[in-house]
Amino acid sequence: MKKIFIFSIVAANALFADSDIEELKKLVMEQQKTIQALQTRMIALEETKKTAVQSSSEKESEDKPVVAEKKQTTILASTENQVPKKKKKPKRSKENLAEEDEYAAYRTSGTSIATASSSEDNAMTESQDNTSSFDQSAFLPGIALIGNMSAVSRNISNDEYANYSIPGFFGNPGELPFNEKRGFNLNYGELEIFSTVGPYIDIFSAFHIAKDELEISELYATTRSMPYGLRLKGGKLKSEFGRINMKHQHAWEFSSIPLVFEAFFGQEGLCDEGLQLQWVAPTDFYLMAGVEMMQGSNEYSFGDTDGINSMVSYLKSAVDLGDMTTLLGGITYMQGKNGFGDTKIYGADLTLRTDFNSYSSLTWQNELLYREKPLEGGIVADQAGLYSQLIYDYNQNWSGGIRYDTIFKNVPDEPEGLDKYSAMLMYRPFEFTKLRLQYSYDKSKYFAGEQKNVQEILLDLTFEAGAHGAHAF
Amino acid sequence: MKKISLLFLLISASLFAKINVVTSYPWLAKVVQEVGGSAVHVTALASPRMDPHFIVPKPSLIPKLSRADLLVINGAGLEIGWLPPLLKRANNANINPGRKGFADASKAVRLIDKPKTVSRAYGDVHPNGNPHFVLDPHNLIPIAKMIAGKLSRVDPANKGLYQRNLSAFLQKWRAYLKQFDGQMRSCRGLNVVQYHALYNYLLKRYGIRSLATLEPLPGISPSSKHTFEVIKIIKRNHVKKILQDPYHEKKTSRFIAQKTNAKVIVLPQDVGAVSGTKTLKNFYQSISRRLCH
Repeated sequence: MKKIFIFSIVAANALFADSDIEELKKLVMEQQKTIQALQTRMIALEETKKTAVQSSSEKESEDKPVVAEKKQTTILASTENQVPKKKKKPKRSKENLAEEDEYAAYRTSGTSIATASSSEDNAMTESQDNTSSFDQSAFLPGIALIGNMSAVSRNISNDEYANYSIPGFFGNPGELPFNEKRGFNLNYGELEIFSTVGPYIDIFSAFHIAKDELEISELYATTRSMPYGLRLKGGKLKSEFGRINMKHQHAWEFSSIPLVFEAFFGQEGLCDEGLQLQWVAPTDFYLMAGVEMMQGSNEYSFGDTDGINSMVSYLKSAVDLGDMTTLLGGITYMQGKNGFGDTKIYGADLTLRTDFNSYSSLTWQNELLYREKPLEGGIVADQAGLYSQLIYDYNQNWSGGIRYDTIFKNVPDEPEGLDKYSAMLMYRPFEFTKLRLQYSYDKSKYFAGEQKNVQEILLDLTFEAGAHGAHAF
Repeated sequence: MKKISLLFLLISASLFAKINVVTSYPWLAKVVQEVGGSAVHVTALASPRMDPHFIVPKPSLIPKLSRADLLVINGAGLEIGWLPPLLKRANNANINPGRKGFADASKAVRLIDKPKTVSRAYGDVHPNGNPHFVLDPHNLIPIAKMIAGKLSRVDPANKGLYQRNLSAFLQKWRAYLKQFDGQMRSCRGLNVVQYHALYNYLLKRYGIRSLATLEPLPGISPSSKHTFEVIKIIKRNHVKKILQDPYHEKKTSRFIAQKTNAKVIVLPQDVGAVSGTKTLKNFYQSISRRLCH
């Protein structure tokens, strides 16, 4: 057995060696042929050019390259079924042909082929700098650093504010992730690293760096070559239902998440480990359907994480009303275990945006969420809220906006009509820098059964450095 | 119901017969139409009335991308601010960068103004060079060739047709270029200022010098300090023309014109950007007429 094995190895080795030599010989022969062909072509062209120059003028520099390229392509055709390495060189010269003095380009690229192939021969004599042979720096992923900081003024002391909560909603967040204390806050740094991993997968990651903690905010792989308009995403990801949930804090129009999201999912929205499948319908208008299977670790609405315990599904569509106006709408249904039963959430969103020109637009955005959450003892809590915001982008530098938040339906013995009003003014000296002044008047917070008015003025600064991608609609 | 489904089938069948080409900007669509002829169905994503750097990524553009067989972009970073998220959402594997159905026009031309050092301290620089090469009509020749090659790869059955269309277009275009070069000759040696480095390819080709941009740095709105510097430059060099794109504010250029003897000239950056520029010829014609007459 062992002998046969060794024998086969030897045989395989010999075979490979043979075929290697054969291949190399072939390669060299072919290269010599092409070099010869190119040289004769060069001589021929030089002669025609001489005669052409004598005969004439402007038109010449235009027409000549066509001839050159035609001939070039015939050469190409004759050498087409070769090793890909070879094909590249004539191609390069083809590109150069586009240049102003195309004939000269042809000549230089011709010689570069000759020198390239001769240097290939020299490679055998190991006289080169080989330190970069395994260098992969060209494959560095895209990296972005985003920072957010704020100065906050609030009419309630920090200690007191930490004990406030929205009545009827489970769990006091305890600590706020953003704009926690009066005075200066360095809210977070976010490190985004993203790259194409191969022909089939892209990867995106966002690391949320707050004081004394590093959190994987998102890390997911996305397919890039699925057929039928499908795309699969897996990892830890922000759910893409509605409008605001998929955006990171630095892309929000206001510094805080809408009240109904804060109540249903917490300050950072619904973000969980899971799998997402999206499908774009082959229709003339935009129609997209998505399903997400999630662990269900969001404690505000779900919280039972023993298995794949929640599901989010949504349908989105958009139509253009004229050239500059777009209406975008969506519906959402989600379901997940919370320990007492299945929480069900129904959502709807509607956005109307009119663009006045490339820099100025008016956007009216609304989202509504309705939740049925089973509680202890078979009671089901019906709660609902919405937000409506109007954002005016005056130009590339200035924006302003107002938002109305309300929770209009609550569990039987808890107050309804919990409102919050916000207004903001944003200045962007440059695309990647945002300075925002925001005022909010919050009537949704209670302490010991008593309603408390919270007023807040904050100034926050967001900067985005590095390979930061474009923001979606 | 049956009728509707039959109709639907018919429509989709007629659509399938043609190659679906999507381009980022209208001028690319015109070139594709010339080369593709009856074998292609072309749509441009951007409106020519918008700043080409800042096209609104409307969701209605997604289905166009998701059904495309070939996507032709300008490249050199001009679409970086709006196209990538749309392309990602379109879930169309065929037109992703690197695939057969993806074409980048900037790879066919020689880019100028490539910055030696790249930093956002210098504003919105394009690291690969100036992407506004459409302003030089000579660039359409290599681009048309590249598009013919791409179309032949996506749709090999019509290779002959594309080749014929290409030769016809090249012949037509070379004849037109002669005429255009003649019209532009009177502009040689002219000094101008421009809002953004939008017209550099045109200026370079025809020996026109740009002495300043109204933007202090690319993508940064004019400041009063910089505007007064531009006024000084105009006065010192007797500049007669301020080149202004159609989509930016025109207050600054009008103010400068008022303070100096220079005239504001609005030059289109794309087919259809100003009225009377519906075809490629009309587009370049309006440039030479506005600039040199």
